[in-house]
Amino acid sequence: MNLKQRIIDLSSTMTVSGYESRAHAALREQLGGIFDEITTDAVGSVICTRRCGRAGAPKILIDAHIDEIGMMVTEILDGGFLRVLNLGGIDTRIMPAAEVCIYGEETIYGVVASTPPHLQKADEAKTLKPITELLIDTGYSRDKLEQIVSLGTPVGFVPRYTELLGGKITGKGFDNKSCAAIAAEAIASVERGALAGDVTLLLAVQEETTMLGGTTGAAGIDPDYALVTDVTFGETPDTKKGDAFPLGGGVVISLSAVTDRRLTARTVELAKEKGIGYSRSVEPTGTGTDANATQLTNCGIPTVVVSLPLRYMHTYHEMLSLDDAEALRALIAAFICDSRIAEDFAR
Amino acid sequence: MNELKRIDLLRALCAEFGPSGCEGNVADFIEGQLRGVCETRRDRMGNVIAHLPGEGPRVMLSAHMDEVGMMITDIDDKGYLRFANVGSIDARVLCGRAVTVGNEQNQISGVIGAKAIHLQSADERKKATAVSAMYIDIGASSREEAEKYVDLGDFAAFASEFVEFGEDGQRLRGKAIDDRWGCAVAIETLRALAGKPLAVDLYAVFSVHEEMGKSGARVAAYAIRPDAAIVLEATAIADLPDTAAAAKVGEMGKGGLLSFVDKGTVYDAGLIDFALETARRADIPVQLKRYSAGTNDSAQINRAADGARAMALSAPTRYIHSGSCVADARDFDAICALLQAMLTEWKD
Repeated sequence: MNLKQRIIDLSSTMTVSGYESRAHAALREQLGGIFDEITTDAVGSVICTRRCGRAGAPKILIDAHIDEIGMMVTEILDGGFLRVLNLGGIDTRIMPAAEVCIYGEETIYGVVASTPPHLQKADEAKTLKPITELLIDTGYSRDKLEQIVSLGTPVGFVPRYTELLGGKITGKGFDNKSCAAIAAEAIASVERGALAGDVTLLLAVQEETTMLGGTTGAAGIDPDYALVTDVTFGETPDTKKGDAFPLGGGVVISLSAVTDRRLTARTVELAKEKGIGYSRSVEPTGTGTDANATQLTNCGIPTVVVSLPLRYMHTYHEMLSLDDAEALRALIAAFICDSRIAEDFAR
Repeated sequence: MNELKRIDLLRALCAEFGPSGCEGNVADFIEGQLRGVCETRRDRMGNVIAHLPGEGPRVMLSAHMDEVGMMITDIDDKGYLRFANVGSIDARVLCGRAVTVGNEQNQISGVIGAKAIHLQSADERKKATAVSAMYIDIGASSREEAEKYVDLGDFAAFASEFVEFGEDGQRLRGKAIDDRWGCAVAIETLRALAGKPLAVDLYAVFSVHEEMGKSGARVAAYAIRPDAAIVLEATAIADLPDTAAAAKVGEMGKGGLLSFVDKGTVYDAGLIDFALETARRADIPVQLKRYSAGTNDSAQINRAADGARAMALSAPTRYIHSGSCVADARDFDAICALLQAMLTEWKD
């Protein structure tokens, strides 16, 4: 499948952190053709395995969290308005007048209320309301709304995707379903016989809230070594050097105190060998990804983090470069086929 | 051009790119929709003036074609566009939003950047980002690449799908409902009255620059010299659960809003009485605007040349001047019915 379409299809699914199981059927449908086996674990992570066909081969884990930031309903008000709580870090600057999907008995549409300039008090425009004070307008009467929505109903952003100049696309859910889609395409893009081991793609739940799925998933799979793929900050005029990485420059490989430096060095070499563009991200205190957990799972799992630069993270117009997506696909494909890494990191 | 009706007409009007100063595409669309209905002309300001001749006083309908938007003020080395607002927009409905950038000939997609929440300081997370600190990202990687598509002085507008939602799909969400709503009402009214005996000599002005200070309607009124004007608008209603009851303007789905007074106009009492009486007789829902806020083209038409009586009939609208204006389809029908009844039975 076309990489762009794979990214958009997967990112469009509703996987609000904690509610990922609602997307199980869609994930199986979208990814079923690629893997030999798709199972779910006790906490709802989706475990997709493709075997190399050799007995006793090492187990390679590719972790991509599947959840996205979102909200849940906390109150249903007269006039068909809802109040919500955030699940994961939502930027309240993007909320007024935003479009949302409310995933109740049926999926309904809502608009986050905003106050027009004509009706504002002095200086009101400089302030931001906390998310718990925002109102979502559903256009229903309260009675009808209560038949569709209940407290705890998940709420997400409306999936809308646009292609911009230079092969860049924007939309919701690229953190981290773009990486999940790219990893699936990487696994699909190589011959079974070329795999250096049995490859498991862990679509981990709750990275945005509790890091639960990365922890339990890696423990259950118990791989020989792992590559965690997640988004990182794309460079924009308001980011500082070192915090963010250019779009179009390829992947970002993390140099961290809590990931495996040997495996990281081998991954950098692999990128060089294959002519894949990369930047290096220096993250002494941790990676802000599932890798923090993966590395310490069971008896310890050597882990490398490879990221996709993403502008405007945690908004509904996250932006990525399809060139970078292809670079990430190529690097993951090379990683899972690399027999030298498999030899060195097999238990 | 296909003749579009009612909500389909409104949807198509809202889709046109037309910030103040760049209304040409909206004007072309409106003239296309009125072909065969009545005579139209474009004045030197860019207003579209439609005329349906009749025996009686000269009545001018006025709806503005322009929408709030932005203008490109700078293109930086990396291809990001800086901008200033055209019309009044709360910076809080800009950050992170999708926009269309361009002019009457060409448009391109972009996004207003929003630094990731992880990289914001505690202080930044609490404060709205100022427009002067924002930029539009069109995906260009250099000034040279951006300049192939965008020039200084080009415009931007919200990129926003028109959505029918809520109970029975009656709620309408989109950009530019202020005031393509009024344009749609005027088009439907001209169509409904064409070929019928009229109690008025009817003009409809589709005006430019309302969001900038109402200059379009003023010059059109100067040329037409109406005896009376009815301004068709979309007005903010402040009916949210957290708004004080005293500040609520009206309700959704309960008919058009008649204004007594706002920040620019004290409306003609005789016209308001006539509207109320007509609504009562024809059993058409209508509401009185219960709060004085904002202003519209009435203030300009009222005082153009030697003056004209003015009335405003507005759609109750939530979240105006954002990419998500919300109005109600039932109000569209109520406003069209009341306006057509008034023009048919006009009493001077």
